Amino acid sequence: MKLINDIKKDLNFKNNFKIVSTLIITFFICDFILGIGIEKGLEKYYGLNTTAEIALVGHSHLMLGINKVKVEESLNVKVSKYTREGVNISDRQIMIDQLLRKNNSIKTIIYGVDAWSFTGEGLSANSYTLFYPFLADANVNAYVKKKSSFTEYWLHKLIKTTRFNEGLISSSIRGYLSNWSNLKFGEVDTIRLKEEIKVGKFRKINTKIENIEILRESIKVLGLKNIQIILLYVPTIDLYNTAEISKFNESITIFENLEKEFKHVKYISFLEPWSHQYSIFHDPIHLNPKGQDLITLELIKKIK
Amino acid sequence: MLFNSWEFILFFSGVFILYFSIPYKVRSLFLLIASYTFYMAWKWDYALIMIGVTFVNYFAGKEINKAIRKSHKQYWLFFALSFSLIPLIYFKYANFFIENVTVFTSYFELNNNISPLQLILPVGISFFTFQSLSYSLDVYNNKTTVENNFVNFAVFVAFFPQLVAGPIERSTNLLSQFKENHDFDSEKLVTGIQLFIWGLFKKVVIADRLSLYVDSVYGTPELHTGNTLTVATLFFAIQIYCDFSGYSDMAIGIARMLGFRLMQNFNLPYLASSIADFWKRWHISLSTWFADYLYIPLGGNRVKYIRWILNIFIVFLVSGFWHGAQWTFVIWGGLHALYYLFESWGDKFLKLISLNNIKNNTFYKVFKILVVFIIVCYAWVFFRSNSVTDAFLITEKIFTDWGSLYRGSSTVTFVLSIFLICLLFGVQLLQYFKIASIYFSKSKVYSSFQFAWYVMLLLGISTLGISSNAFIYFQF
Repeated sequence: MKLINDIKKDLNFKNNFKIVSTLIITFFICDFILGIGIEKGLEKYYGLNTTAEIALVGHSHLMLGINKVKVEESLNVKVSKYTREGVNISDRQIMIDQLLRKNNSIKTIIYGVDAWSFTGEGLSANSYTLFYPFLADANVNAYVKKKSSFTEYWLHKLIKTTRFNEGLISSSIRGYLSNWSNLKFGEVDTIRLKEEIKVGKFRKINTKIENIEILRESIKVLGLKNIQIILLYVPTIDLYNTAEISKFNESITIFENLEKEFKHVKYISFLEPWSHQYSIFHDPIHLNPKGQDLITLELIKKIK
Repeated sequence: MLFNSWEFILFFSGVFILYFSIPYKVRSLFLLIASYTFYMAWKWDYALIMIGVTFVNYFAGKEINKAIRKSHKQYWLFFALSFSLIPLIYFKYANFFIENVTVFTSYFELNNNISPLQLILPVGISFFTFQSLSYSLDVYNNKTTVENNFVNFAVFVAFFPQLVAGPIERSTNLLSQFKENHDFDSEKLVTGIQLFIWGLFKKVVIADRLSLYVDSVYGTPELHTGNTLTVATLFFAIQIYCDFSGYSDMAIGIARMLGFRLMQNFNLPYLASSIADFWKRWHISLSTWFADYLYIPLGGNRVKYIRWILNIFIVFLVSGFWHGAQWTFVIWGGLHALYYLFESWGDKFLKLISLNNIKNNTFYKVFKILVVFIIVCYAWVFFRSNSVTDAFLITEKIFTDWGSLYRGSSTVTFVLSIFLICLLFGVQLLQYFKIASIYFSKSKVYSSFQFAWYVMLLLGISTLGISSNAFIYFQF
């Protein structure tokens, strides 16, 4: 074969082959070490594999809304804060399943809710990618395999570092440093927000029945395990809430009905009076550190 | 099929092994089949346009060569130019003309019922059209010999590494290489892979990350402050460079693995010390194309001063129009023409006041590099804006509305973006001072450092790579 003859004639082939092979091997070794390192840091950050009694589950809204360290200090219990940016209702089902398998001592789950919780669109459509870091977990692995394409799945399976991004690396480092502080400083720009709402540039509420059913299913599973659920509404700014007020109120009614329907469910809302206090918001839905401290104190008072 | 996709890696691995395994005499045909497969993976029927352009220029070249009288040569050149440019004009500029005719007629309250055409621009049409035209023009100007082998000519037009976004090759460089016998060379394979990795890093780690911020800010400029728009413009300057030079690097790397030499398309353009210098460093294959086939035939600088100014404007405006059928691109080209002229007048003024020696002063050079970078960035505002109105709004805000800085959806990504820009400039400075290698030049960096650098690039791609964004220059 011509190619094999060329290789035989190529005087540099042996040396170059050695260089390329060493490069590939070194890459995979670094990838493995880095991958394990980031994963362990993430487990610490999210509080997986701990003896936590309380777990916070939600997306960035809850992530920035509650200071887990303050809750731990005040209630003298361990708290897991498994909150991920952009997770929808069905992703949270996987997260709860993962939490329950990793942490056996959970008694209460504080589940972040908002008027957009049952909206199908808006949050990342490919949010299964959020679970790439935990491909080592058999259930997560099965879920990702089902959702992703063949090449996508095997790429992330074989090369560990492809499972992360800068956000996750940052979270992992914060896990090692035991740093859960809210870094979203600054206050919401209400003038800009009003302009955005005026031109229709805001996330619309589009409640889907199937999403309500998924939450109901999660509630039932937790009930069977005698785990209490707190549906927590960390405030979102009133300007945003009133953009589609009737749909907003419909969502709130769903949470109130869930509280009535299930004994182990409690709905706590901090919308009043906090949604009108603009200085506590970093943006329409996320609290700044000042807001986080205020709401955390309120939560501690309620669940003490 | 994007270079940064698994489909391409599989495709190229197959092409690479087969190319070096088959006899020399069938390799051009094999590359032709591979190139059309690559192109047709996107939209098969548009390959017919490329076939048409190839036939037109192949036969025009033969006829130009055969013709004895100049008028016959001109006739065949006109044939090649018009028939090659018809698809380009139709697909790229038809709607632009329709829109402008509509605006014009509505201004005079005339009835106009022409609605825009539903067209999809064939990928790379500007590139393969210009590449094949360069051949006919070179044959006409006796700069190249006529190609009698149709397969060689067809693969020259369709060569897949540089088919969809350049570099726009000349027949004098690339066509002859299809007649050479390329043997497998591990040195070329390794250096080709190295350049490919660097190009991929620039594309998926830097350009695609910056695009998140740029798209969000330029999508709604009215909602952002002047400093946010300034940062977005700076990010876009780096994004477009990393996107396009990344593609060129990958193209050159791929061709090198197969034993081909493509021309260098970028040479540290943001370290240019003048606008003239910038255009010798940015999209070199296009700027030299316009210099050779437009500027020089117009008379270049060997004409009356006023005519020279006109020539400069024509070249830059056409270059802007080549990039896209929008007034924003034309204004972008016009701005560069103005920069070029002002710079030439500035040089004359320095001479007049006997300060010409200042040009050798290091501080002056650094100052010029900064000034050129800033004005080039300003021109990018027009290139990136969705409309002329947006571009003027951004200009106004940049100079008047300095409020809070938007950091994008993630502060970590924002900080990382700045770090990556610093890293890029760090590498470019090492290349500028000839310490690090640029396009296969000798590197003075220890081989162990180079090794660690490529491991780091690969880890950067795997960890921070954002995939599947199409290349900006595909649309041109």
